[in-house]
Amino acid sequence: MATKYGGYMGKVLLIDLLKKESREYPFSDEERELYIGGKMMAAKILKDNLTGKEKPFSDDNLLVITTGPLTGSGAPSSSRFNISTLSPQTGYLTSSNCGGNFGYYLKKAGLDALILKGHLERPTWIEINNDQIVFHEADDIWGMKTTEVQTAIDDKLRLKNGRVRKNGKICIGPAGENQVLYSCIVSNDRVSGRGGTGAIMGYMKIKAIAVSGNKEVKVVNKEKMVKLTKKWFKYLRKHPLTGSQLPKLGTAGLVSAMQMKSILATKNYKYGQYEDFEAVNGETLAKEYNIVNKGCLTCPIKCARTVSVEGKIVKGPELETLVLLGSGILNNDLKAILKWNYELDELGMDTISTANTISYAMEANEKGLWDNGLEFKKTDNLSKVFEDIAYKRGIGEELALGSKRLSEKYGGKEFAIHAKGMELAAYEPRKAVGLGLGYAVSNRGGCHLNGGYLVILEGLGLAINPTTYHGKADLTMLFQDLMEMISASGQCLFTSYAFFPSPLMNHPNSWYTRLANKVLPYCGFAVRLINKYPRIAHLHLPVFHHTKAFEYVTGMKMKFGDYVRCGERGYNLEREVNRLFGVNANKDALPKRLVECLQDAADDSSKVPLDKLKKIYYHARSWDENGLPKAKLLRKLKIGE
Amino acid sequence: MIKVKIFGVVSLKTNVSEFETNVKNVDELLGIIPGISRKEAKDLVLLVNGKAVRNSYRFKDGDEVVMLSPAGGG
Repeated sequence: MATKYGGYMGKVLLIDLLKKESREYPFSDEERELYIGGKMMAAKILKDNLTGKEKPFSDDNLLVITTGPLTGSGAPSSSRFNISTLSPQTGYLTSSNCGGNFGYYLKKAGLDALILKGHLERPTWIEINNDQIVFHEADDIWGMKTTEVQTAIDDKLRLKNGRVRKNGKICIGPAGENQVLYSCIVSNDRVSGRGGTGAIMGYMKIKAIAVSGNKEVKVVNKEKMVKLTKKWFKYLRKHPLTGSQLPKLGTAGLVSAMQMKSILATKNYKYGQYEDFEAVNGETLAKEYNIVNKGCLTCPIKCARTVSVEGKIVKGPELETLVLLGSGILNNDLKAILKWNYELDELGMDTISTANTISYAMEANEKGLWDNGLEFKKTDNLSKVFEDIAYKRGIGEELALGSKRLSEKYGGKEFAIHAKGMELAAYEPRKAVGLGLGYAVSNRGGCHLNGGYLVILEGLGLAINPTTYHGKADLTMLFQDLMEMISASGQCLFTSYAFFPSPLMNHPNSWYTRLANKVLPYCGFAVRLINKYPRIAHLHLPVFHHTKAFEYVTGMKMKFGDYVRCGERGYNLEREVNRLFGVNANKDALPKRLVECLQDAADDSSKVPLDKLKKIYYHARSWDENGLPKAKLLRKLKIGE
Repeated sequence: MIKVKIFGVVSLKTNVSEFETNVKNVDELLGIIPGISRKEAKDLVLLVNGKAVRNSYRFKDGDEVVMLSPAGGG
């Protein structure tokens, strides 16, 4: 539906795969005002189409690919797109955000979102060029790994002059084709990694989608936006996190800090420190293996690494992969991790869930619960194990189920490290309990980002007391809502790190940083005030450029308080989708290892006080004691109207 | 004798990730970090045997000191 707002192309396309037909899906300006774009827009579409009876692998499920209004607007780090669906891994909604250029080209084709429903009889790849949609047989590319298939499609999109038509692609590898529950969708060398979106695309028999077009994103106040963008780029380049640490060391730069703070997941999260961490940290990666740092479209941060694997220049590992395939399985061979990272991307498998499933299996074997041949420190056979998972061969057929299902079969639920069936990220939360809460309540399962990423205050960027419960629930809520909205706008979450004023990061030993560390846990009341009365934050914050950019691009009014309220609406809407599928307080859980066993026997506070944190969190969110939004809150947020 | 280890972005600047020294206190240590000024050294997180200490801390023989820059984003 045409729109009066800038940033949007005004069209959402639904493709019915069973009929091989497409039609415009109605999405009005009123809905744009409330649900913005990205994961929030996707949640709205899913909420309107799902009843709670659908199965992930069924023709009733939808794969919803969305952009945000800032995608392709030229704002920093704004090439993001989102993929949401009913996750085969968790049975709840999953939303997986990705960089690269697919989102940009989706908008060039005139689309804000693409909805896929049903399945095809034969392997197919779909070409979208402006308003033209073509279904191509994909027998010749089915079975290919992710780089090969993208190269093959580029060849098919060659023009008469020999050049490849400019396009953005998403594709799956063998793991997605075989519906491995944690298979992912790949775009260039970026990955929509979590929740098993690749398996849904595999069920639909879609090997790849290529989009192209020549439409332009309209920016309402171009002059102001250009000026703001220049200032914002400069700000991000000067900030210690987005201008120094992330470009120089990438996300891998956190390994050492995590070791120092005892939050480095080690031996399947049994410990928070790894004695050989220096062999697999970001400094070693930067000094010995990184060739050049790389970024997505319009990104000044450039956090990605590039490394050489078997003579090819490929993407290097992110923090999660480095930790979970390093300390997580007691491996100190960094070169092996570079190779596995590449192999997993090629197979199209989430590195986090793969690594945690392997470490669960290693511990189950060590404890005599499951004789599977996998052992901590023994890593010479892992490449073959990964292939076996992707093709569901031998032991791989079982590992493809993930740690939750395996622990139900073989035992060891207390050390199957997942939340809602999705394996946790690389931060061991017993010495960062706010993140522990985030993992548990996260709408998509064990995710640090959807969980609010409070660890940035609990020892990484700042240093508030990591094991106190004070303020953690409120701050988690605020960060979740902010990140929800940044993501829905089409921007990278890393732009949010510049929210922390540089002096606090640059001078950790100064009186004002020490004061901030002491005071922040007691700022819960301020968060609740903004949450209750967003009008008191009816302003643009100087360290938060997102609100002004949103206004300049779309023409909608969006002050900081409105921004947080929109994020809150998105978070609650996702919870409402999950309510349909049976989510409640009992499902906001962590394994016993993290909530009952002390990480440090001499420190009584070194476990996640989850029940206490959840109680405060539900109260802060105005959810009932069963962890569900109250009717009054839903009315306030205009959800379900 | 204490052992000093340097991590984070600053380690790319110092080009030294580890050294041993006989300095007596934090103040003396801040002045001898290779490749960076005292002012820059003052802005590093400093841990002794895994714990944060005040600038008045006096080193004991065998202490392991870690210095690193704040970090975030993963």
